[in-house]
Amino acid sequence: MNFVRRREVARRVFAYELNRSTHRIQPEGEKAPVYVLTPLGMRCNRVYIVGALLDKDEIKPDSGIWRIRLSDPTGAVFGYVSRFQPDALESLMEIEPPELTAVIGKVRTFEINNRIFVSLRPEYITVVDSEVRDYWIYETAKKTIERIRNMERKEDEDCRLAWQIYNPDLNEYRQIVRQALMSLKEEYEMIVEEEKEEELKEFEEEFEFEEEEWDLSDLLGE
Amino acid sequence: MENRIKELTDQIFEQFKRSGFDINVDEVYKRLKLLIYEFKVPESEAIRTIKNWLMKELDIPREQLIIESPIVKIADITKAGQWISLKAKVVQLWDSNSPNVFQVGLIGDETGIIKFVIWAKSAKKEVEEGRSYLFKNVVSDSFGGRLQVNINRNSEIIEIDEDIELPPREMEVIGALVSIQQNSGLIQRCSICKRVMTKGICPIHGKVEGYDDLRIKGVLDDGENFYEIILNEDNIRKLTGIDLERAKRMASERLDRNSVLSELKGKLLGRYLRITGTRGGRYLIVKDVDFLGRVNKEEIERLLEGIT
Repeated sequence: MNFVRRREVARRVFAYELNRSTHRIQPEGEKAPVYVLTPLGMRCNRVYIVGALLDKDEIKPDSGIWRIRLSDPTGAVFGYVSRFQPDALESLMEIEPPELTAVIGKVRTFEINNRIFVSLRPEYITVVDSEVRDYWIYETAKKTIERIRNMERKEDEDCRLAWQIYNPDLNEYRQIVRQALMSLKEEYEMIVEEEKEEELKEFEEEFEFEEEEWDLSDLLGE
Repeated sequence: MENRIKELTDQIFEQFKRSGFDINVDEVYKRLKLLIYEFKVPESEAIRTIKNWLMKELDIPREQLIIESPIVKIADITKAGQWISLKAKVVQLWDSNSPNVFQVGLIGDETGIIKFVIWAKSAKKEVEEGRSYLFKNVVSDSFGGRLQVNINRNSEIIEIDEDIELPPREMEVIGALVSIQQNSGLIQRCSICKRVMTKGICPIHGKVEGYDDLRIKGVLDDGENFYEIILNEDNIRKLTGIDLERAKRMASERLDRNSVLSELKGKLLGRYLRITGTRGGRYLIVKDVDFLGRVNKEEIERLLEGIT
């Protein structure tokens, strides 16, 4: 079959779900992409995650391999950046954690004591503002809810596989989504507060400014 | 009126005959007349009732009956469960994770574009992007709140020697910019053919005079699909404030044309963009682009309420 391999879509997934993905799917074929199956029945190969870059450490001095830790409201994932990811490495060198970043990368798996863990191999790391982070939380929450619904329906092949392998407690994931959305909502309430405060400050500053301009001599009648 | 009933009777007779079944024409005529005249049942319902009755009577499994569905336009598909035939062109094929799905993607005609699924069980030959086909006896379905057509065992796909025209489709995509590809940033174009030159060499005309241009070839990804996009100088200026003149200045100050690309990557990658554009072959031709602003609080609350 004449088959052109298509680009893998960058999945939106919270660290909590990604970290609990221990099942690897490797379709047949020489260059077939490797996926991890998440507990909510999604195959992922590439992900897009926006969160706080908490650490970057060179694993050994002068090794040129850096370990990063990236956290969203639900948990943190590890990633490794080396000279084989030149774009990611270039921008990582400029970043001083903690910093809000968007990471696009491939999901890797590694095995310790017969357990499979996931890590990221970033293709790109960029510093972003909170607007991007907020939309990401919103979007990822929405897609996680969709996955929970699909798991309930049990129609999809991968969902059935996920039930078989993980038997997940869906309420746990609902709780995680809720928690992430609540953190977003609280932030919004803070933004509104801040804006109010700023207005007040501006008002006060203006007031002070005007005070200086008053010519007191008139009042003194001199 | 009598003629109409006769016509419908013949249609049903023909259809069963094609599938290899002989039916009692008089009986069908009588029943049709009763339903349509006496009971004022709409024609389509009457026909369905008769067909169901015949299948039961003659013990014909539904699959064996070749039902010729009417050829309609994509815009006519309004609800799930319609049996129809379509003349359409394959616009795009997607990857599928499910072993139940043989092929999935988009087909279109001049009235619209719709998702299609060819089930693995349907045992069909592959369709190809850019070719036009007659999709016979397919059924509309609703998945995730959107209409699609399913090609199943009873369907037939016949390639046709017609180039079905697609609507000038303007679409809006919201996604994250997940990649910026080679030949982006401050580039040089051949002054003869406008192709992008690498290291001062045009792939067609060799070593010729070039001129500078600013563009980005990138990938916008919404988590379900990806779209290859091209941003031109105007788009780039709108998003980053960098235009061709400034890009050239940056390059000469830093003695490095690639510094422009690094700068653009830093400002654009990993950001959400809202793009309106039209699909032209492989690329989405961008008409308008902007950063996506802050998600509003109502949306967050709506999601929270939906978690049960």
